Amino acid sequence: MNRAQPNLASVTTINADGSRRFLHPADVQGRFTVLRRITALALLTGYVALPWIPVNGHPAVFLDVAQRRFHLFGLTLATQDLWLAFFLITGLGFSLFYITSFFGRVWCGWTCPYTVFLEHVYRRVERWIDGDAPARRKLEDAPWSATKISKRVLKHGFFLLISAIIAHVFSSYFVSLRQLYAWMHGPPSEHLFAFGVILSLTGSLYFAFSWFREQFCIILCPYGRLQSALTDDNTVNIGYDKTRGEPRGKAGTTDAGDCINCVRCVQVCPTGIDIRNGLQLECIGCAACVDACDTVMQKIGRKPGLVRYDSLNGLNGGPTRFIRGRTIGYSVMALIGLVVFAFSARSVKPMNVTATRMKGAPYFMADGSIRNQFNVQVINKNNAPARFLMELHDAPAVHFNLGTTAIEVPAMGQASPLAVLTLPQLDFHGPTTVTLVVREDKPGGAAIERKLEILGPDTRLQNHDYLSPDHYKK
Amino acid sequence: MNTPRSNDSEPVLREHVFDGIQEYDQKLPNWWLFTFYITIAWFVIHWLAYYQFNVGQTDEKRVDDAMAAIENNRLRQFESLDDKKLWEMSRDPKIVEAGRASFMMQGRCVTCHGEDLMAKKTHPENLTLVGQALADKEWQYGGNPSDVLKIVRKGSPDVTKGMPPWEPMLGPRGCVEVAAFIMSHHKEGEPFTISAPPAPAK
Ligand code: SF4
Ligand code: SF4
Repeated sequence: MNRAQPNLASVTTINADGSRRFLHPADVQGRFTVLRRITALALLTGYVALPWIPVNGHPAVFLDVAQRRFHLFGLTLATQDLWLAFFLITGLGFSLFYITSFFGRVWCGWTCPYTVFLEHVYRRVERWIDGDAPARRKLEDAPWSATKISKRVLKHGFFLLISAIIAHVFSSYFVSLRQLYAWMHGPPSEHLFAFGVILSLTGSLYFAFSWFREQFCIILCPYGRLQSALTDDNTVNIGYDKTRGEPRGKAGTTDAGDCINCVRCVQVCPTGIDIRNGLQLECIGCAACVDACDTVMQKIGRKPGLVRYDSLNGLNGGPTRFIRGRTIGYSVMALIGLVVFAFSARSVKPMNVTATRMKGAPYFMADGSIRNQFNVQVINKNNAPARFLMELHDAPAVHFNLGTTAIEVPAMGQASPLAVLTLPQLDFHGPTTVTLVVREDKPGGAAIERKLEILGPDTRLQNHDYLSPDHYKK
Repeated sequence: MNTPRSNDSEPVLREHVFDGIQEYDQKLPNWWLFTFYITIAWFVIHWLAYYQFNVGQTDEKRVDDAMAAIENNRLRQFESLDDKKLWEMSRDPKIVEAGRASFMMQGRCVTCHGEDLMAKKTHPENLTLVGQALADKEWQYGGNPSDVLKIVRKGSPDVTKGMPPWEPMLGPRGCVEVAAFIMSHHKEGEPFTISAPPAPAK
């Protein structure tokens, strides 16, 4: 098997013939490894717990597809508010870019669910069953035997089990826990679709984490592919201090640099690169190589930090500038985005109101009054029935033709009352605008305004002077 | 065709050079290549199934079928309805109650025809009730249940009057219920007169 050293020109995990080279990253200890474990544990707890923590009577995060209600930390959004997802999606994307401009791919190495599951769940299981890196490599190369088969069966059994658990956790963000529980206890024939979703999710997760692994980060993930555009010479990444390390030599050699060419940094890398070749697209910024090299440096009595978090400027002995054109620009954009989002989120109302002129003639005349008919549609986004009141403003002469203007709307339902507006013909002096206000019938309730245009006959036609031929002789 | 690497670590360069640019001889990952093969196989399956053997429906056909089913269902609801059936329904308390609920809902029929279904007739002073009286023995467009149902569904034939078609809003079922409610104020076989259409609005 080809165990060539990583190089810049090709991807380590792909052999010359296109086949996959499976990596066996070595164990690593150090401060970043500990911190990363703690972060991962917190994140894993969060992933599982979020659908269980109630906020304002709903789970903290619950994208209820069946009811089409989206609960986010106490904020409940209806399908009609889906436009706010624009802020969510661009906001998440932008935050990622923002952080990247300062610290490169910290997201990938520390918080991306893919890394968290791969490094802190699946690889831990693999380490536990198959042993450390040399043992795993030996097992891979070994011919099939009873031990190998039993180890493989055990490992993949666990992988499948974990994948199924993650698939269920993922589903709990989209269906209620009660429903999920009922599905888990019922025969699959009663919920074939849900069963299929869980099955394919489990399959995808199993494939991704047992076989595909770093290939996703290296080749598929679009965020990783954007790195060269998102970072610059002042971005803090994982880097190797060439000035200090080169030329490489054995420990104790006087005219050599600090790197003793022990390739510990290469052995621990989960993407199979040699960080000493400089920043590469494969690097997910996991800092495993930092801990590895620091341990080596400590052992041979040299200063740690030969491989460290630093910018390209910093690695070349210069200062790292955090405040610079790119970060200032990003900050301003982030601020604008936040302000616009705050205003937009405030505009979310518990109901939706539309008012359109009814089909047919634009206005009607009878008994000395002009009548305009509007179709009002009130959608109640709440989970409880609600009562709304219609009011007219800005045109005192315009009235509803009936006194009662209360509308009862069932929970998450809609009502489409008519607004029949009348106006004495004598008070009509050309098209005017009236404001229809629909408000919740409770103190401090929300209100939505809609402008309606009251139409009538051309007032000039009612002027007999205007119609008389004499008018035109003047 | 497995080109050996030059030193087991660096990939070999292809021979051709253009503008000083050279090319490494590297292979696509096999799994990547495999996704291409899958799409090719999928194309063949798809082409055979959809375009040659008509297995599975196109989205267009599915939508058309669903629309046709809805339309069929709608027609069927009215097909079996004649005056006799409608009279029967107007005696069914459940249907009449449902019709009353629709009729009396704020902003619906009651807006123009009044709670007593008499519109202006009993409230000559209330100019804002603009509808026709529905509980008297005088009809303008026919007094049979099917005539009434037609007006509820399609609106007044006289567009200057403002009675809109209600079928889009109430649905076929709702229209039948409202008509049944109106007819519950009448008796089968009672005499009625057809009034002359009122003078056009000035
Ligand atoms: S080079 Fe270092 S930081 Fe980058 S992926 Fe490899 S071990 Fe992690
Ligand atoms: S771990 Fe440090 S000393 Fe060892 S090869 Fe890597 S950079 Fe050099």
